[in-house]
Amino acid sequence: MKPAPFEYYAPGALDEALELLERLGEGAKLLAGGQSLVPLLNMRLARPDALIDLNRVAGLDEVRREGGELRLGAMLRHRRLERDALVREHVPLLAEAASHIAHMQIRTRGTLGGSLANAAPAAELPAAVLALEARLVVRSRSGTRELRPEGFFSGALQTALAPDEILVEVRVPIPAPGTGWAFAEFARRRGDFALAGAAALVRRDAARRIAAVRLALCGVAEVPLRLARLERTLVGEAPGERLLARVEAAVRAEVTPRADLHLSAESRLEVAAEVARRAVSLALERCR
Amino acid sequence: MGAWVGQPLRRREDPALLTGKARYLGDLTRPGMVHAAFVRSPHAHARIRSIDTAEARRLPGVHAVLTGADLPADLGAMPSMLAFEEHRPTPTWALARGRVRYVGEPAALVVADSPYIAEDALELVRVDWEPLPAVASIEAALAPGAPRLYDDWPDNVAARFETAIGDAERALAEADVRLAETFSIQRNFACPLETRGVLAEWDAHRDELVLTTSSQSMHQVRDYLAAMLRLPTHRVRVIVPQVGGGFGGKFHFYAEEAAVALAARAVRRPVRWVEDRLESFVATVHAREQRLEVKLGARRDGTITAITADIAGDLGSMHHTCSMGPVWLTAVMMTNVYRIPNARVRARAVATNKTPLGSYRGWGQPQANFAVERMVDVLAKKLSLDPAEVRRRNFIPPEAFPYTGIFHTFDSGRYAECLDRALATFDYAGWRRRQAEARESGRSVGIGMSFHVENTALGPSRGLNQGGCTQGGYDIARIRMEPSGEVTVYTGLCEMGQGFTNGLAQVCADALGVDRDAVHVVTGDTQVCPYTGYGTGASRSAAVGGASVRKAAGRLRKKIAHIASHMLEASPGDLEFADGRVSIVGVPGRAVTMGQIAEAAYRQVVRLPEDTEPGLEAVAAFDPTAMAWPYGVNLAAVEVDTRLGEVKFLDYVMVHDSGTLLNPLIVEGQIHGGVAQGIAQALYEELAYDEHGQLLTGSFMDFLVPSAAEIPRLRLDHTVTPSPVIPGGTKGVGEGGIIGPMAAVANAISDAVGHEFNELPVNPERILSALRARRSAR
Repeated sequence: MKPAPFEYYAPGALDEALELLERLGEGAKLLAGGQSLVPLLNMRLARPDALIDLNRVAGLDEVRREGGELRLGAMLRHRRLERDALVREHVPLLAEAASHIAHMQIRTRGTLGGSLANAAPAAELPAAVLALEARLVVRSRSGTRELRPEGFFSGALQTALAPDEILVEVRVPIPAPGTGWAFAEFARRRGDFALAGAAALVRRDAARRIAAVRLALCGVAEVPLRLARLERTLVGEAPGERLLARVEAAVRAEVTPRADLHLSAESRLEVAAEVARRAVSLALERCR
Repeated sequence: MGAWVGQPLRRREDPALLTGKARYLGDLTRPGMVHAAFVRSPHAHARIRSIDTAEARRLPGVHAVLTGADLPADLGAMPSMLAFEEHRPTPTWALARGRVRYVGEPAALVVADSPYIAEDALELVRVDWEPLPAVASIEAALAPGAPRLYDDWPDNVAARFETAIGDAERALAEADVRLAETFSIQRNFACPLETRGVLAEWDAHRDELVLTTSSQSMHQVRDYLAAMLRLPTHRVRVIVPQVGGGFGGKFHFYAEEAAVALAARAVRRPVRWVEDRLESFVATVHAREQRLEVKLGARRDGTITAITADIAGDLGSMHHTCSMGPVWLTAVMMTNVYRIPNARVRARAVATNKTPLGSYRGWGQPQANFAVERMVDVLAKKLSLDPAEVRRRNFIPPEAFPYTGIFHTFDSGRYAECLDRALATFDYAGWRRRQAEARESGRSVGIGMSFHVENTALGPSRGLNQGGCTQGGYDIARIRMEPSGEVTVYTGLCEMGQGFTNGLAQVCADALGVDRDAVHVVTGDTQVCPYTGYGTGASRSAAVGGASVRKAAGRLRKKIAHIASHMLEASPGDLEFADGRVSIVGVPGRAVTMGQIAEAAYRQVVRLPEDTEPGLEAVAAFDPTAMAWPYGVNLAAVEVDTRLGEVKFLDYVMVHDSGTLLNPLIVEGQIHGGVAQGIAQALYEELAYDEHGQLLTGSFMDFLVPSAAEIPRLRLDHTVTPSPVIPGGTKGVGEGGIIGPMAAVANAISDAVGHEFNELPVNPERILSALRARRSAR
């Protein structure tokens, strides 16, 4: 469990990192919190020629409110997401999602950008940013672009990032006041990757009916899944057991998970439907 | 009982352990030390056509590359210490010669300046493998025409065992009630947090090997190495440093210990190998995996009249150090604590292309307990009797001890009393009431129990030898009072974190009337420690180790009394030992301190009686006349989330009887750890292989070791029934915690869900698919 040889760079500024990335090309890998990459290096499953360590790059770990959105630096640690006052006030879904990630030691190192760019199918944050309709800001030497999560996650451990691009910021529209939120998941042990997880946001109208729902799942497909059709059909409905049954039914109809070591496809579908139900149910309770 | 035995004293080593001061094998370095790494088979079964090491040797920083072809021609084969019926030898060596039989089998070894370079070089060793068909399960290995692991065998059965009492088949036929169930127990392993490791130093001048190894059995390692390497015993010294857990996995003698020693001789430098975590999943012995077909006959009142068991144990690729020992133990434990007059057990060890079977806390006892205690619950359900009542009706009664059942002789037990204590502690009636209420509101709450017995104080030596074991079951202690009056105890048992040195110090302190902190216990060096039979396993340290210390201390005490009586001009019978002094009974002022006595024994010899030799040292061997049998009850209340297949503990009680407790705090720690590992087996851990013999769960991501978050708060209690066969009455406790949880937890889940769970682990998939099957059956 010792990595193959690689070159190591520790730039202090983003421009420097971008320049290195362009110069070193596809053989280079970005090192953020290292919680996925370092084990892969040690198992020699990842064998980059060079590592560009982003931990010393200034300005990538800030939380700022700009108008109706929260701007989150890509190097924010999960532990910050979990505890930051601005995040907890404006996007508590993100704080709750982060609290499910692994163990405290890992959350203290792992980063928002690292988790999104790693794009593990069962990871919490990709599903959370999908439900939040966040925009992912990526930079290269030739410019900046913003991607929606739907366009960013392209497969298991795959994203739309070009080899010379760095994910630098996540812009999260602050949900309307009174929006209920929840992140629910089922993992074998505390801190494991979820067998299935669900991020839900719910807003209710003056009549306490559903004004808007967003629901995204992790762990059930190669990329986080948003149940857009269900979201549309629930608008105007009254909360209650029938609504939750529809959530479950929609998951069963729209999701086709694969079997793995821990669960058969049928069981995973049951688990996914149940965590979706629980997320929506809890989000409904939290609506004001 | 003296001043020290029975005190819940904190372990003396813990401050150093908790502040990171301990030095494990991976912390040890030597001048000029180089590092070893192993080329391991990626195939479950393959012939090695050739190995080309030229490119690896050329890599800068590489000192040597060894393959099976480089081993000395007269190198001995890997040993095993047990043999059963129809035992078929499985000749294997420190490095594979021509053929590998499991993924992870060492085929070559690289020595380099750093572990990094060594791993770079591994990739340059070119092995020309010829893959062979593999068998990766008991079923596949036993199938007609299955590929064979050993060409000269007629099939893949490596050894057998069979025994019986009464006439089980007839009793079954005549029983009012007959049950037949099949049980399946998954493969897992000891998985100590400190992996294995070896540091070999070969003194070329003296042709002497010093092998430092993270092991439980230093004398066995020394003897095996000396025999394999054709060296005189005195040229091999084995040292065991701080060990971060063994749990049986380090009881074994491993190929790497021999290979690293040979590497040190080849490169003339100290060579260190530290097993990395990924290696540990394939290179450290596996455990547990069995299929059991069990039949049970009973009368209508719940009295069990017969049991039969056909057991197939997955041996993996070879007879490792303990051969099929755990499978044998399962067979002979199939009557558990019950007076069953008719029993017949058959066990087979089945060779498969997987990591060899070895020891893990409990050996074969957890499997037997799981099957028998599940059967008892099924019987209770069938007869509409309370499961506690069925157990009570079948217990061996206290007046029947010593009791000989299907194989062993149990020394003592008051089982009903222990069960009653456990039911009261658990509030069994209250839980049954709460369970009924929970069910009313649609919750799936279940209650499960198990009763277990644990074989400890492994011996007697003659019995072991007659049973085919190459080792005895005694322990030798040497005790020396130093000129200062402080005491040093030398033991051949290996400390691996279980803390037994504290218990031995307490025994010695009582025997000599000195402070516990005046006693120092030395372990872990074959050059200074006395030999111990068998090795550090089978819950022997407290009972056999404690009794040997007590015996040696008794001898030393006689000499001390002789000297003191001379110094005090009193009769030895009038002396008492306490507080580090020997005084005359009833005359507290007339006393000599241990320091004064020791001063006379070593330096002021003029004060000794004329007939007395200088020095204060005694040696004694204790060989138990029979084994000691502690026992206990596990009781679990669980709630099953039927939507997720998740099991939550509502309560957990474990009540045990380990005879006289040397140190209750350490005993509770042993129970805590054992129960946690039992719950791990019940719900989480599994070494799963695919049909080609590839390990699917070879990292902590997929091999689910539970953390503190998954283990419920344990409520413990105990009763005390001193062992009549161990002076001092102490029974072992090292494995007591791990035997019963599987059955208790599976019984509780079965009770909650209304489905009989006979396969471990009871994971969400098993629960959800059972529920699905029931829904579709309706």
